[in-house]
Amino acid sequence: MSDFEPKIVVYACNWCTYAATDLAGTSRMSYPENVRIIRVMCSGRVDPQFVLQAFADGADGVIVAGCHPPADCHYLEGNYKAYRRFELFRKLLESFGIEKERFRLEWISAAEASRWVQVVNEMVAELKKLGPLKKNLEVKE
Amino acid sequence: MTEPRIGVYVCHCGFNIAGTVDVKKVAEYAKTLPNVVVARDYVFMCSEPGQDLIKQDIKEHNLNRVVVASCSPSLHEVTFRTAVAEAGLNKYLMEMANIREHCSWVHHDKEKATEKAKEIVRMAVAKARYLDPLEELEVKAEQSALVLGGGVAGLRAALELANYGLQVYLVEKSPTIGGKAALIGYVDPKTKGAEIVSKMFELIKECPRIHIFTNSELIQLSGFAGNYTAKIRVNPRYVTEKCTLCGECEEVCPIEISNEYNFGLNKRKAIFLPFNNAYPPYYAIDHRVCVKCGECEKVCRFGAINLKQEPKIVELKVGALVIATGYDPYRPFKGEYGYGLHESIITLFQLARMLDPESPTKGELIIGGKIPKSIAFIQCVGSRNTTPGAKEYCSRMCCTTAINNAIKIKEKYPDTNVYIIYKDIMTYGSDESLYEEAGKKLVQFVKFEDKIPRVLITPEGLFIEVFEYTIQENIRIPVDAIVLSIGMLPPRDIEELIAVTRVSCGGEGFVREAHLKLAPVEAPTKGIFLAGCITGPKNILESIRMGSAAAAKAMSLLSKGKITIEPMIAQVNEEKCSGCAICVGVCPYSAISIKNVNGDRVAYVEKALCMGCGTCNAACPSGAMQHLGFKDVQLLAQTRAVFGGEVNV
Repeated sequence: MSDFEPKIVVYACNWCTYAATDLAGTSRMSYPENVRIIRVMCSGRVDPQFVLQAFADGADGVIVAGCHPPADCHYLEGNYKAYRRFELFRKLLESFGIEKERFRLEWISAAEASRWVQVVNEMVAELKKLGPLKKNLEVKE
Repeated sequence: MTEPRIGVYVCHCGFNIAGTVDVKKVAEYAKTLPNVVVARDYVFMCSEPGQDLIKQDIKEHNLNRVVVASCSPSLHEVTFRTAVAEAGLNKYLMEMANIREHCSWVHHDKEKATEKAKEIVRMAVAKARYLDPLEELEVKAEQSALVLGGGVAGLRAALELANYGLQVYLVEKSPTIGGKAALIGYVDPKTKGAEIVSKMFELIKECPRIHIFTNSELIQLSGFAGNYTAKIRVNPRYVTEKCTLCGECEEVCPIEISNEYNFGLNKRKAIFLPFNNAYPPYYAIDHRVCVKCGECEKVCRFGAINLKQEPKIVELKVGALVIATGYDPYRPFKGEYGYGLHESIITLFQLARMLDPESPTKGELIIGGKIPKSIAFIQCVGSRNTTPGAKEYCSRMCCTTAINNAIKIKEKYPDTNVYIIYKDIMTYGSDESLYEEAGKKLVQFVKFEDKIPRVLITPEGLFIEVFEYTIQENIRIPVDAIVLSIGMLPPRDIEELIAVTRVSCGGEGFVREAHLKLAPVEAPTKGIFLAGCITGPKNILESIRMGSAAAAKAMSLLSKGKITIEPMIAQVNEEKCSGCAICVGVCPYSAISIKNVNGDRVAYVEKALCMGCGTCNAACPSGAMQHLGFKDVQLLAQTRAVFGGEVNV
């Protein structure tokens, strides 16, 4: 499994985490290629169906990331909506046979490029240990 | 839907992208993607020739979608949207693939980076296939503004807004405008706060466009930027404009309470004039303590008192709101540095007020009945975690205010010893000269670090025991009076403000700006602006400037007479909507309501209120609510494209 390269889909809120990913770029930080970032305006926009679809299609990990609670959210409380939704969702994931390490809800502010890089590094390392997602989940089209 | 015809433009960004990503290969790959009609690479897509390339292709190849693979949308989304619009394409039919910040700048392996860039382009193309043309909406903007709070920040904002030509409604909770600046004596060695405020009063009196509501509060705010409806409750003053300020009523009034306009230095009656220069210049009755005995009404020779006045509700249409409701001074707990246990332990606000010639002591320094021979200021009371009740932040104005008043004391009473017991002196900017001047006038500075000073109240008098940091020794200073340099707190009624205006608070309890650097002075809700200490501690100058800034921002919103509404907001498909109202509950802006359409309950989005977060879309169980620009199908297409899949529509 040493050459296994996990693929991670990231839903990043426009104002905090997406800005942090941009900052990581402008600061010429370096991290593995495994992440694919999808921009949403708010972490509260992320529908669990996207995450399920990503796992069904072959994602080895998914990150939903937004602004720090309590008060960084550009839309007042979208991060709380995401928190509520995904803390529940996380429990369901395990019952689907998807290990909890494969899903992360992260708060990364626009200034925390190094936190972003750390999250990617950590998750890539963990997923390499876990190996590819054994797909028990079939999404009927 | 017409068949998408997509053009893909891969930018080299000089070597910024091309140095790590094989842009030619990416462009070649893009040509193989479904619906891609043309794909090119170019050295700088954002340059004029680069943009012309896109414009030409739109016309020549009849493109109806454009994907630009270059930098972050935060940098050039506007550039490329404008470019496609110039070629006649709806500007929302352009999507960006971020292959610089997300790829070439963070990766080094050329092969892997190129593969990743291809996928990022594939994801953008997949989303672009489902982009919709969107139209910006315009609503009329009321040429009026509501200013909450009549302190220096609010007054400045009101004056600026009126100068720009707006009708301004200034709503102040207390019976006079002027705020705390009118009371706190000297704000620098030469200027009295009351003078600044009086000059503003003069301008306000002359301005017909400023309408002042004192004793009033905002009780309801509805509508949206450009079209707010504000409900104001005008509480009765019980004294009319017939008042001549003769003061006879005050003499007969039987109720006496601590005078907050002198920070508790003396008492006042239930009928009172807040301060000599108060505006509007009439007495007022404090309804919270008045027992309506009618003595004042009997004695008034001008018929100026009417105890039968009732509260009035006034409804105002305003385009924008400026919140400038200020702060409260920190309230030391009993025993905090001896506060409340000895008559010679007072607060900085009381001292500053005392040194004002209008104060009960007529500007004389009289503490505990005598002129102190030695007086000590203790800094950071209530700030910087010094005591259990203290806040974490620095209150910004206390160092300068203490030093300023220490200089005043030294000028007037050269023989009085003045100590400033401090943690750090923060006389930033030009205030540093005051620190130097205080040193020259022999004000003595005593530094403490982690161990806070102790106040000892003994039969021999007051002492301060402090571990002096520079000499590393415990010293004991005998003093006649102690001044606690208290900081600032969020105003007590901030909860009501939040409930009515839906602004939100930061960790320190003050109202927070939409973004400190990118959207300063703005509240997250469009059309609401913030000024002065409501966003955190500030000195008078900073508050005044913020008042000006808030007014300028409100003006830039309202000046065109209409407001453009971003189209990337929520939209309801009424056919699909079951009226379950889950979206109503999750909307942070109260932008969604349930309306009746031909007997069916369906969600309705007030477009001008929606800020486009998309939370309702994620919560909608039937897919009826869609976040335009980030619709389910668009985000799913993007997700599936990571793995080369497509959505089935």
